[in-house]
Amino acid sequence: MADTASSFSLTVFSSSGKLNQLEYALKAVNAGATSLGIRAKNGCVIATEKRLPSALADDATIRKVESVTEGIGMVYAGMGPDYRLLVQKARKVAQTYYQTFREPMPLAQLVRELATVMQEFTQSGGVRPFGCSLLLVGYDAEEEPQLAQVDPSGSFFFWKASAIGKNMVNAKTFLEKRYQDDVELEDAVHMAVLTLKEGFEGKITERNIEIGIVGPDRRFVALRPAAIRDYLGEVE
Amino acid sequence: MSSSSSSSKGGNGGGFNFDHHLRNQWITACLQGNADASTTDPVPNYARHARKTGTTIAGVQYVGGVVLGADTRATEDTVVADKNCEKIHYLASNMYCCGAGTAADTEATTRLIASQLELHRQAVGRARVPVVAAVNMLKRHLFRYQGYVSAALVLGGVDEWHGPSLYTIYPHGSVDQLPYVSMGSGSLAAMAVFEAGWREQLSEADARQLVYEAITAGIENDLGSGSNVDLCVIKDGGRTVEYLRGYAQEQVRTYRKPDGYAFPKGTTAVLAEDFRKYVQVRKVVSDL
Amino acid sequence: MSGSNPLHYNGGVVLSMAGDNCVSIASDHRFGMSQLTLACDAQRIEPLHDRLCVGLAGLATDCTTLAERFRYKHNMYRLREKRVMRPRTFAAVASSTLYEKRFAPYFTEVVIAGLELEEDGKRGTSGADAMTDAVYRPYVCSMDLLGALMVTDNFALAGTCAESLYGTCETFWQPGLDPDALFEVTAQSLLAALDRDCMSGWGAVVHVLTPEGITTRELEARMD
Repeated sequence: MADTASSFSLTVFSSSGKLNQLEYALKAVNAGATSLGIRAKNGCVIATEKRLPSALADDATIRKVESVTEGIGMVYAGMGPDYRLLVQKARKVAQTYYQTFREPMPLAQLVRELATVMQEFTQSGGVRPFGCSLLLVGYDAEEEPQLAQVDPSGSFFFWKASAIGKNMVNAKTFLEKRYQDDVELEDAVHMAVLTLKEGFEGKITERNIEIGIVGPDRRFVALRPAAIRDYLGEVE
Repeated sequence: MSSSSSSSKGGNGGGFNFDHHLRNQWITACLQGNADASTTDPVPNYARHARKTGTTIAGVQYVGGVVLGADTRATEDTVVADKNCEKIHYLASNMYCCGAGTAADTEATTRLIASQLELHRQAVGRARVPVVAAVNMLKRHLFRYQGYVSAALVLGGVDEWHGPSLYTIYPHGSVDQLPYVSMGSGSLAAMAVFEAGWREQLSEADARQLVYEAITAGIENDLGSGSNVDLCVIKDGGRTVEYLRGYAQEQVRTYRKPDGYAFPKGTTAVLAEDFRKYVQVRKVVSDL
Repeated sequence: MSGSNPLHYNGGVVLSMAGDNCVSIASDHRFGMSQLTLACDAQRIEPLHDRLCVGLAGLATDCTTLAERFRYKHNMYRLREKRVMRPRTFAAVASSTLYEKRFAPYFTEVVIAGLELEEDGKRGTSGADAMTDAVYRPYVCSMDLLGALMVTDNFALAGTCAESLYGTCETFWQPGLDPDALFEVTAQSLLAALDRDCMSGWGAVVHVLTPEGITTRELEARMD
């Protein structure tokens, strides 16, 4: 044990001033299937690669893009089981907010609450940080579309476009080149598909990616395979 | 999680706060000139001042769906506090629930369960949840509070498992499932209409008419019910809901002075007047 | 009868009325213990922001506590969300605050008066970009001591002379009142009811909220 300080508990600083567990959590995120999000002029899109554990797995039963409220959706990179818990938390937090204020939870508030939960798991005893980063899309209180990212450390950012997971660096470079401030939602979806296609292992189909969009109607929908197929056809 | 600052426990988890219990007992005892709090009237005087929905609520099942109906009167003791209150509450996209009893209880209970139903729906990942799920959640909530949460409910909905279904849930948590039901202080009047007019295989139009007549019977004959008739029709496998707020206005005020009572400016003697003008602040985008 | 009701112990009444692009909220000034009058400068109306006021009637100690809790909750919301509460949002908060104590309640009834931006509140009412030329809709509601919300398009009231007030308001109120007419109607409805109530009175105040500002008028009332 070279680093005795951090062997006390999982969430204690190492002598170099780092929380090793957080570094490891980010490694778990960076090993996960790529997810990305783009903020358009009139909405947001999130997309993700769906890597199946085996060719025998039923792809229809695996869902990565989830809706939290009517107008907010999320996706992740990293550990699936950890993500499921965060989805459940997010939905509960959003319902509690609705119960108290009788208005839909603004994205910024949900992001802050989720980040608080994730931060607690970097400072509490007997727990480990979450092994996933999140991308959330929705509308804020000012009624503008927003794309947010939350990391295992509990830090959060708002982006024009972002990517997390294995192919993050390439995807971000790709997005930086392509992104324009006045991009339309439809074009953003195409951009998302093209970004996923970059460095995609094997052939991209409606079965191995997922897309979620929120448009001017402020309703988040996870696209059905048929709709994804149409988009794939459009970018061919 | 103590951290969630926005989620004040505000009546959501069904967790009630009893901090004021002893104090309230003491206050009530003192005001009744009774130093011994233990012998105070167990039904506190203030309870009469809670807003009630005296209410006629009813529902009928027909071949393709259910029709729910309610009057719109809310009372505070003997005063009509609200002439047009909404008693048919949203539970889920395929179910609605009429509430009778203490207004705060029917309102809060249906909202709580609506929230839990949405979480359940998201968890199972379906478009709709079965009506029995709502029945179970409601009856468990009411049973847990032993009738002290005074909500008497008529729950109607349609789902792909059982088709149209109609339930009544009593404040103590017991449940009935019947093709035609009524609740509230006007339930007897409404049920009389049902017993006379109900038959099997009702069409939607007939079901609507029957519920309308039942609610009207309550409005006319029960002092706790009054004003308008609201209807709610749920059909098409739970995909279509027709919420007919103000379906019929039974007791419109008959006479009003045509031009109202105008008070010329300056009628009321004013001792002091102050005007606080708002300062307008606009967002300025800096060039820096 | 009213002597044994904690809601009526200290006296007091609050009334709010909706007008055209404006809203009023009024109350009396008496603070007493049963029939004994202790003070005639009671303040029952708490402004939360430029376009939202809350009035509290009932047991004075609970009114004070609730006014503080409401202010606290509103301030926390403003810091957290960088915007002020819409009236209906605040009504939801007030309602759940009261219902939380369903079985051991605050002896307080709440009246809320506010102006809500037209467009169905689609845009946030952050004080920063709220413009006075925007169209506002009056928001008026009341709730009982358990938090049962009642939103109306005419008037909402609570307090010791509620019954008389229902009568005067029902007669005098009419749709489309401008700020001056709204003031007169509110004041006359209140004064008429106060004259038939020994638990409230000793002066009264009427606030009229318009998009341009708040007008506050102290009324000359019977002082007995």
